[in-house]
Amino acid sequence: MDELELLKKDWETSSKNYPELDKKTLYKLINKQSSSIVKWIFIISLLEFALWTLVSIVSNDAESLEKLKSYNVEYIIYPLTVFGYLVIGYFFYVFYKNYKNISTTEDTKMLMERILKTRKTVKHYVIFNLVFVCISIVIGVYIEITNNPEVQTLINGIEADGAKNVTIFYLIVVGISILAMALITAILLGFYYLIYGLLLKRLKANYKDLKELVTEQ
Amino acid sequence: MKSTSEKTFVELLQKHQNIVHKICRLYTNDVDAHNDLFQEISIQLWKAYPKFRGESKFSTWMYRVGLNTSITLYRKSLRRVESQRIESVAYKLSYEDYDDTKDEQLKLIYAAVHKLNDIEKGIIFLYLENKNYREISETLGISEVNARVRMTRIKTKLKTQLTS
Repeated sequence: MDELELLKKDWETSSKNYPELDKKTLYKLINKQSSSIVKWIFIISLLEFALWTLVSIVSNDAESLEKLKSYNVEYIIYPLTVFGYLVIGYFFYVFYKNYKNISTTEDTKMLMERILKTRKTVKHYVIFNLVFVCISIVIGVYIEITNNPEVQTLINGIEADGAKNVTIFYLIVVGISILAMALITAILLGFYYLIYGLLLKRLKANYKDLKELVTEQ
Repeated sequence: MKSTSEKTFVELLQKHQNIVHKICRLYTNDVDAHNDLFQEISIQLWKAYPKFRGESKFSTWMYRVGLNTSITLYRKSLRRVESQRIESVAYKLSYEDYDDTKDEQLKLIYAAVHKLNDIEKGIIFLYLENKNYREISETLGISEVNARVRMTRIKTKLKTQLTS
């Protein structure tokens, strides 16, 4: 092909015209911060991890712990908390392992597979968090209704007004809980879409391209 | 203090920096983006350097890391601010070639090459560097047959673009 030959010839000649960076500049360059996709995925997952831990610390302040103690529901709360931390700890380990395993010295396809595997871990982590938040909301509402004396008094008051009102009361509680879950889910999903969806869009397209080529044969 | 390995690495990088420049030339369209990618590839090379065991030539190893960075890790849009910092390091490139190619025909060819997707750019880059299909397939993780098929397709693609 004439064009390719022409290009090749120019490629060889112009390769002599590139600037020569001195050692000092190169030292400065290699010590700068990378902004590669993988690094961002790792940083974001660390931030997320910190956020969830913070949320659980804030929600477990002394006062609310005392309140829970008076309800005698430790048998639900403790296993749930321990389970939550175990799972988060597990994800943290996998995130770190994924990050460490990603190496630019592998072939391109393998590298892409590893990055996409990291993304899969993130996806599982997101799903876990969403399910966990929703379950916590359901358990929390149940505990409040059955144990909180103020809520009990309120229900008794409503009951005195008529059985129909109690049903309406419960419907409202369920409605608000579902609304809260939907809102949290929507916010988190939007957030994850923005971060991971956009971050990995081009990589996904390239991976698809490479994979198509392999399956064609 | 600069470590011995850092010193050796910078010497090797300086010696073979042309490879990085050439990758940048195919994957970027302007000097800013070129500087950005040059920096990112250099960082990735340095990060991967402990894994370089000298089994392959340093230059061969550079092809792999450089292309992987361009295809999988690099995101132009995130880098706008960084590139200005690089310029302040007095890192200058004279890139008349980008828009002042002597030959009109060549200019069109480069424009057509820039329109290829990231993987195709990788294949054509290795082709221009006189790599054989085995080396192309090893770098990208596809079979030799696939590399051949894709190269034929790239040739057709370029021809169609240039004749239209």
